[in-house]
Amino acid sequence: MNTPQRLFVDAGQLSDFGPGTVTLIHEANCYLSRLDDGGLLAISRKCTHLGCAVPWVVERGRFECPCHASIFDSTGNVIQSPAPRALDIYLITLTHNRIMIDTSKTVKRSVYVAEQLFYPQELG
Amino acid sequence: MYKNFFFHLRPRKVPARAVRFTLTWGLGGAATLMVVLQLLTGLLLNFAYEPFPVHSYLSVQHIQTELFLGRLIRNLHHWTGHFLLVVACLHLLRVFFSGAYVTPRRGTWYSGLVLLLLVLTANFTGYLLPWDQLAFWAITIASSMLAYIPVVGDLLQNLILGGTEVNGATLHIFHSFHTTLLPLAFLFFMSYHFWCIRKAGGVKVDGADRQNMLPVVPELLVRELAFAAVVSCFLLLFAMFFDAPLTGMANPSLTPETVKAPWYFLWLQELLLHMQPVLALCLLPLAFSIFLLLLPFLSQKREKPSLFVQVIFISFFLVIITLTITGVWFRGAGMKLLLPW
Ligand code: HEM
Ligand code: HEM
Ligand code: FES
Repeated sequence: MNTPQRLFVDAGQLSDFGPGTVTLIHEANCYLSRLDDGGLLAISRKCTHLGCAVPWVVERGRFECPCHASIFDSTGNVIQSPAPRALDIYLITLTHNRIMIDTSKTVKRSVYVAEQLFYPQELG
Repeated sequence: MYKNFFFHLRPRKVPARAVRFTLTWGLGGAATLMVVLQLLTGLLLNFAYEPFPVHSYLSVQHIQTELFLGRLIRNLHHWTGHFLLVVACLHLLRVFFSGAYVTPRRGTWYSGLVLLLLVLTANFTGYLLPWDQLAFWAITIASSMLAYIPVVGDLLQNLILGGTEVNGATLHIFHSFHTTLLPLAFLFFMSYHFWCIRKAGGVKVDGADRQNMLPVVPELLVRELAFAAVVSCFLLLFAMFFDAPLTGMANPSLTPETVKAPWYFLWLQELLLHMQPVLALCLLPLAFSIFLLLLPFLSQKREKPSLFVQVIFISFFLVIITLTITGVWFRGAGMKLLLPW
């Protein structure tokens, strides 16, 4: 049957995610993207065009959708359409130095703006 | 009493010209036969089918490989479902060109439109049931198109999927629809369809003379049975030689290279590649639906649709057919254009 949706998914320790990396968090069906300045984004895997699962292509450092060739950068911003808007994100909190992703609510956005970043230093 | 009930659905005598094959091309009859076939094969499949993720895939695999006659019955259900949609559309074309949609046939036309919607829904909900990669991603893509409808899009998508993505809840909803509500709706609206035809004095015959009448039994009945036999043979042979597809089990985190909506919604997916989403997925389909709904009022007094109405209708149909053919045969991985040979 349908596995009950857990609200918070424990993505791991902060130190597991170095700056400039994108890591798949399988249980949350999203990517944890840590930008060069240390800011974090939990980016949904679902393409905003028609819902395909978007893989992260390490060699080219971007998300490339297999379905209709939309391309997104590491912040989820659209580099190439047909995707109409940036990939959805989830809210992040830090508890006991572990990164928790709130999967109960998807945040839709048209583009990436710096306010969407989560800086663990501030709270931790 | 028993005889009288059927008299509401069938006459005792019909004009000689009404039984000519080229009048209806047997399309309404073929559609009726195919719905009945679907009800029978569907009922059988449902004995072995389990509507839960993973189990559903395994049960269809079991039907396909181990069950006695399972493969044949599944193939029959699969292909008949798809052919039924084609036949229903051809039937709509023939009814249109006969001009058989104005009073007293308005009720028939509208119940026909409902039947078309039912055939589409049955095919769409059935598509997910095998729970393979093909099914999972086709339904994902097709339902995501709903989200582009302004204001109510997200709500609609959530309602149909039972959440924000295709999962166990979706399978449950689709299966319930497919096996309970739809069969009942079919029985109801088909009966109404037939009653309307009967009330309008049978199928539309140009210049029928009421002198030259033939008894329904045996003249019409024999023709119907012969045609039913031909259609059944065709479907049976097709199902014997062509297997219904069953790809790998659905995997929500792995999108295959080529993902397409079910073929009857591919024209929408194509439109979306060419124009603005709201225009493609909302305004154009809406315009065509409104045209079909208003048709009985557009050319009320005429025997045949006027040239103007014909031009609009044919253009819409040609666009849909061209886009469908492009989508089905001329699109490869990543929806890039390619030649099928
Ligand atoms: C499951 C789908 C359907 C079934 C089983 C069905 C069945 C039938 C049958 C048996 C007839 C009489 C014989 C014939 O004309 O071929 C008929 C006539 C008719 N059908 Fe359908 N039909 C279906 C779908 C539709 C659709 C999609 C439309 C169009 C909107 C439609 C509109 C009509 C009309 C207007 C007539 C009367 C034709 C006349 O009086 O000449 N039907 N239908
Ligand atoms: C006009 C009516 C119907 C249509 C057009 C229709 C169409 C379909 C289609 C297209 C599939 C997918 C088949 C595949 O790809 O494997 C399917 C599957 C299925 N249908 Fe129907 N169906 C109809 C009526 C019914 C009824 C009445 C039942 C049962 C009460 C039923 C039970 C099933 C089951 C159990 C499956 C899953 C098994 C499988 O995928 O092979 N169907 N249907
Ligand atoms: S679903 Fe990703 S580009 Fe269409």
